[in-house]
Amino acid sequence: MPKLDIPNAADAELVHSSQKGNMEPYEELVHRHRDKIYARAFSMLRNEEEALDISQEAWVKGWQRLKQFQGNSTFTTWMTRICINLCLDLLRKKQRQKTDSIDQMNEEIGGFERKLPVEDVNPTETMELSELRQEIDKAMEKLSCDHRTVLVLHEFEQMEYREIAKSMQCSIGTVMSRLFYARRRLAKMLISLKKERQR
Amino acid sequence: MKKGDRIKIQAFLDGELAPQESVKISYLIDSDLEARTVADELKSVQKLLKYGENELKLEDSRDFYWSQVHRQIEAGNSNLLEQSRPSNAPRMENPLRWILPIGSMAAIVVLMFNFNTINPKPSNEVLPEDSTANAASGLTESLGSAMEEEAPSMPEVGVFSFEGIWKNDRNLLESEDPSVLPESIENPER
Repeated sequence: MPKLDIPNAADAELVHSSQKGNMEPYEELVHRHRDKIYARAFSMLRNEEEALDISQEAWVKGWQRLKQFQGNSTFTTWMTRICINLCLDLLRKKQRQKTDSIDQMNEEIGGFERKLPVEDVNPTETMELSELRQEIDKAMEKLSCDHRTVLVLHEFEQMEYREIAKSMQCSIGTVMSRLFYARRRLAKMLISLKKERQR
Repeated sequence: MKKGDRIKIQAFLDGELAPQESVKISYLIDSDLEARTVADELKSVQKLLKYGENELKLEDSRDFYWSQVHRQIEAGNSNLLEQSRPSNAPRMENPLRWILPIGSMAAIVVLMFNFNTINPKPSNEVLPEDSTANAASGLTESLGSAMEEEAPSMPEVGVFSFEGIWKNDRNLLESEDPSVLPESIENPER
């Protein structure tokens, strides 16, 4: 059997070899996708240290469960799901100690939603892409943990309502409500950004 | 417009609405200005988020990052080994766990079967009528005569009795008379 050319091998080949217990191909997989996994952890946790720890834990879990990977999705999708689950576990642990945020209360009573005028959101006209990404990132940071998580899972991970509800252990109605609130809040923040730039 | 309708508009744009509801909401967006504005706003946010996330890169070097992951994998492997060890322990403990009750039961059974031997029945079969036959020693003679005297009041075999013990105790009490104490007790200096 020919030796695997690790740096040039496809993910699937590396996964196959790793499933036999070889660590070298797994190291290559870690190297290739570590930034993406870390970025996902950071987008959900908004804390560099926690994101780093969770990303490493995800790779450890990935190795331990590698034999369960059937190849129904890409390896990165599978790894991202592991990372998301770890982030959700951590957020749940944290949330048990925290009281409801103002965002959550607003969502429940619908106060913010009534006050917010519906406007055209298009701050991209005068912005560079990297600049825009940074602004979106800032706005995301201001969202409550639940609203940000729903938005990340739906917009960046393309997860369906049903999947999000299952991951977050809540109802589909809650997911829809949180998503709607998060989008409107994000819209408001980006509008104020646009207005600031126009001054 | 109701909040429920707004959320339905969102579900319609996300492709999560049932076909029948989709027709209704599509009509609402076309006919109602507020509904159309809500839909436009949601579309704009969706479009903005399509630009993606801020790209993040880990500052740690490849080797350093991997060394940390590798260390945790190794630690996890050793933990798994440790976890597998206690699972064998109950199997080893099982025979030991049964030793005490089985031993106790065996002891009881042995005692039951050997009761006659330990606590012999005071009958003529055990003690020959002719006490002179046991006259080899004074002790045997006195025991034989004592048993003969007490035999009618002795309980049947199988019933515990402290009578004999009591009798011995009585003898002991009787022997507490200082005049009959052994020399060693009477005069401990010896």
